[in-house]
Amino acid sequence: MRSIDPQRARRLRDRYAIVGIGQSKIGKVPGSSALSLLVDAMANAVEDAGLRKEDVDGIVCRGPDEVYTHHQRVGQLLGIDAEFSTTVDNGGASQILSVILAVMAIDAGLCDVVVCGYGRDSWSRTHRSEEKREAVSLVPEEQTASEFGPEFGLFGATAQHAFGARRHMARYGTTQEQLGAVALAFREHAQRNPEAYLREPLTMEQYLGARRIVEPFGLFDCSVPVDAAGAAVVTSMERARSLRHRPAAIRGFGTFNNLRGWAADEHMTTTAAKRSGEKAYAMAGLGPKDVGTAQLYDCFTYMAMVQLEDYGFCAKGEGGPFAASGALRPGGALPTNTSGGQLSEGHCEGMLQILEGVRQVRGDLPPERQARRADVALVSGHGGHTVCHSSLILARA
Amino acid sequence: MTPTVDPPLPRPSVESEPFWAAVQKDELRFQRCARDGKLFFPPAARCPRCWSREWSWDRVSGRGTVFSFVTFQRSYHPAFRASLPYVVAIVEIEEGARFTTRLTDVRVEDVRVGMAVEVSFTPVAGGAKIPLFRPAGPMP
Repeated sequence: MRSIDPQRARRLRDRYAIVGIGQSKIGKVPGSSALSLLVDAMANAVEDAGLRKEDVDGIVCRGPDEVYTHHQRVGQLLGIDAEFSTTVDNGGASQILSVILAVMAIDAGLCDVVVCGYGRDSWSRTHRSEEKREAVSLVPEEQTASEFGPEFGLFGATAQHAFGARRHMARYGTTQEQLGAVALAFREHAQRNPEAYLREPLTMEQYLGARRIVEPFGLFDCSVPVDAAGAAVVTSMERARSLRHRPAAIRGFGTFNNLRGWAADEHMTTTAAKRSGEKAYAMAGLGPKDVGTAQLYDCFTYMAMVQLEDYGFCAKGEGGPFAASGALRPGGALPTNTSGGQLSEGHCEGMLQILEGVRQVRGDLPPERQARRADVALVSGHGGHTVCHSSLILARA
Repeated sequence: MTPTVDPPLPRPSVESEPFWAAVQKDELRFQRCARDGKLFFPPAARCPRCWSREWSWDRVSGRGTVFSFVTFQRSYHPAFRASLPYVVAIVEIEEGARFTTRLTDVRVEDVRVGMAVEVSFTPVAGGAKIPLFRPAGPMP
């Protein structure tokens, strides 16, 4: 692995910014396709930036992975011919990767204003009965393994991530209650977010007593499928300064991909977040102690917990005790997933967490939701068979 | 009454065909790279470590330990509904490869990371066999 060259890493620091954010309705949004939700979110983001449709000359998005050139359909619905346009394919790491690609494209002189986004209709496509969930899998046919899985009864992302949680428990003594502390903290945040899908209080008793899914995961270890879309507008810092909002400076970003697989080495207990984070910190010239709030990709409780270690907020193996200390809760040492995260606000593949990072560094949230130290927010994305990771460090400009 | 549904059968690729052919003969075989002498999995045309095209399908002991495991409590496929709860484990084969499979002949609450297991060639619908694993018996 090459060493990180600090000079090269910091070249793009603070030169680009997120200047507008938008989202669709979150939850059950019957009658809306994923595409319509995404177009809503993108239009809202451009409007939030104080820009017009004519200002947008780039689109980077992720679609349903089986849709060919999804970005073309987005551009068609937005009525935009773009200088730069593409769809990305890194699962839950795609959304931050979209922002990174936007920065790279603008920096390369290909375009000036890029709208990034993601939308899905997970609630409308599925129903919460056993039969329907069996019949209407969230995983498209093309993504289902043809061998070395289904014949053994291995299905779905929940099991893949649960392997990691189990291994972590065996290596470091992580407990179910510590995973529960993650779910409870994010629910507390969700209760302060009127847009969040799950807002009723969640107790440890309810967490532990919930229906088991694929152990060690029960119902509240799993993110909640919703209809939702989010979008963010990226442009240069020079342009950002004349726009409506205080810009969220893109201070650092990183990527890493454990392509050899989740089961290789110790990838499931030290994830791609570690290397991705190191690159983001190097670019930003910051470390974990400088981060005031984190928006961590939480498809499952364990994934947020292990990233606390991989991003250096605590030592390897200490993610459980760190979560149980209350650090992630409102007013804690590291308020995390302050909009409720995918476990409570709703699962939109990390897109909504980018938006929350922007709101935090803008500093315009109501006091009960605003992190005490919000000058620097770390956002993460994770996915693609649990091996792809992307990191984004946003800062108050 | 739910109609009986057969579990999905493996659909071998060009590369994995010898793996499945060996399983039908009660043999567990993995590719061993001729250059670095180690196993690799999943089946591939080149060793992913050194890109060598020289390898052989080596028979392994069929013994290993549980690297990690999960317990399915909810049905994802009608064919497995009657088997709930069941354990799917990543088994670290004694000779080095990691192989994901279902554990059989064990109570789900008794499974542990590090537990010794061994292969059990088990017939499924249509007469084909698949390599499940079970707690290891005494060393032969």
